[in-house]
Amino acid sequence: MEKQNVIEVNNLKKNFRVKEKESGLKGSIKSIFKTKYQNIRAVNNISFNVKEGEMLAFIGPNGAGKSTTIKMLTGILYPDSGSIRVLNIDPTKQRKKLAYEIGTVFGQKEQLWMHLTPLDNFKFFGAIYDLSKEETDKRIKELKTLFDLDKFINTPVRNLSLGQRILCEISASLIHNPKILFLDEPTIGLDPVVKQSIRKLIRNMNKKFNTTVFLTSHDIADIEKLCKRVIIVNHGKIVVDDSMSNLKKEEGTLEEIISRIYKGEEKHHEKVLGNIQS
Amino acid sequence: MLTEVKNQLKITSLSIKYAIMREMLNKGTFIMKVIFMLLNDASFIVQWIILYSIKSDIGGYTFEQILLLWGFAAGTFGITRFLFKNAFSLSDHITNGKLDCYLVQPKNVLLSIITGESDTEALGDIIYAYILLFISGVTLGKLLLFTVLLIAGSIITINFAIILGSLSFWFGRSDYIADTGNGLITNFATYPDGIFSGIPKALMYSLVPIGFIIYIPVKLISEFNLLYTIVILTVTIITTILAFIIFYKGLKKYSSSNLMMSKI
Repeated sequence: MEKQNVIEVNNLKKNFRVKEKESGLKGSIKSIFKTKYQNIRAVNNISFNVKEGEMLAFIGPNGAGKSTTIKMLTGILYPDSGSIRVLNIDPTKQRKKLAYEIGTVFGQKEQLWMHLTPLDNFKFFGAIYDLSKEETDKRIKELKTLFDLDKFINTPVRNLSLGQRILCEISASLIHNPKILFLDEPTIGLDPVVKQSIRKLIRNMNKKFNTTVFLTSHDIADIEKLCKRVIIVNHGKIVVDDSMSNLKKEEGTLEEIISRIYKGEEKHHEKVLGNIQS
Repeated sequence: MLTEVKNQLKITSLSIKYAIMREMLNKGTFIMKVIFMLLNDASFIVQWIILYSIKSDIGGYTFEQILLLWGFAAGTFGITRFLFKNAFSLSDHITNGKLDCYLVQPKNVLLSIITGESDTEALGDIIYAYILLFISGVTLGKLLLFTVLLIAGSIITINFAIILGSLSFWFGRSDYIADTGNGLITNFATYPDGIFSGIPKALMYSLVPIGFIIYIPVKLISEFNLLYTIVILTVTIITTILAFIIFYKGLKKYSSSNLMMSKI
């Protein structure tokens, strides 16, 4: 039986209006009287689908439009045009309804209360998602086993290591058993050992709960070890949408292949882009 | 619908509880902050004691009314900063992309933001407000009316702060507008409105709604008036609706950011 699409994105566009200023004090004074704006195309007409249970790497160089896309998919940002359906829900119109169904982890932004213990945080998140006390306790027990949280579940978050904190962030975002987990650079700043264990846990979670994973990361190992499919964006456009195995058929290591695609030097880029456009 | 409201209230109260708990981590500092806030407030009333020893009527206010005026000023300041501190830094939240973590939760974004932090020393202001009410002479009716009007005034103050803070959705860094507007409320709140006339007085009952937060409540405590009560309730409801409409209209223009940050 063919798996259903859980994410459907069509012709999505998002521009940002950014102030432009000449350098130095003179430039600052000039900009007071005459402000110039530049229109940045953060996301430029992208379309893709993601299937249920899929683990997708959504990657690209800095400023390529990854985070903007993820923020539109989760209802944080409004698109300028195009359509999004996540679990058949429009994030722009039913943000709250969607929030019950998805989990999000932003490696650069923590959602936990730092002075509370992970346990209290999980209970708070259980209340946010309207879970009963019994449901929350049951889910905490499951996550405790899955992520091996026993040693620090009663230590205030502010006293945890970065790795433990990220584990707790992921656990908190899974408290309501979401169907899709959006991970925006979840392993940023972590040491290789912790990264490895987090990858293992994400894989286990995907297997156990069939959670769809939408991952953005600059860490090649994250992408290689977790995802079977890769979408590469650059300058707001999709330049590659292919399987990991196909991508790896190109010459060199995965890092070299991806670097060449980022620079626009890779043949695979043209080949696959041709497929996407057709 | 009712369950949704119940769940939202549960989260709002939990959020306030956790924000207060964070500020109370250091008990010694917390108690000292509250005491010093009380002393700070008390020092101002000394000036009025001196003024009223020279003159019995200032701006149409008796000394008891000045006590009530200060009671409302300190009380609304205290409640709003103690429970909804983030309403006064909404502009910063918007311009620095701090709304993301609230937007991915299935709860009311605005309520989640404004209850995310507490200024515990403001508890001193709340205590001080009730001390002044007792000094001015209290009855049960007066105590209830004072509390209701204090809550209404606090809601109007928060709504005003939300409207000003939401301007950042359209104008970017406009925290100076919000700070000036919120500062005007605090500055004017401690003077009797009888000393103002013309445009400043008109502003106090329109753009800077201090009249509905402080002056009319003082008049209502001195002499109950049904029309004034209806006016206060109407302004509370209208400003609440306005605050929500403006915030949610602006939210569509929210542009987030990729700053590194944590909810400390």
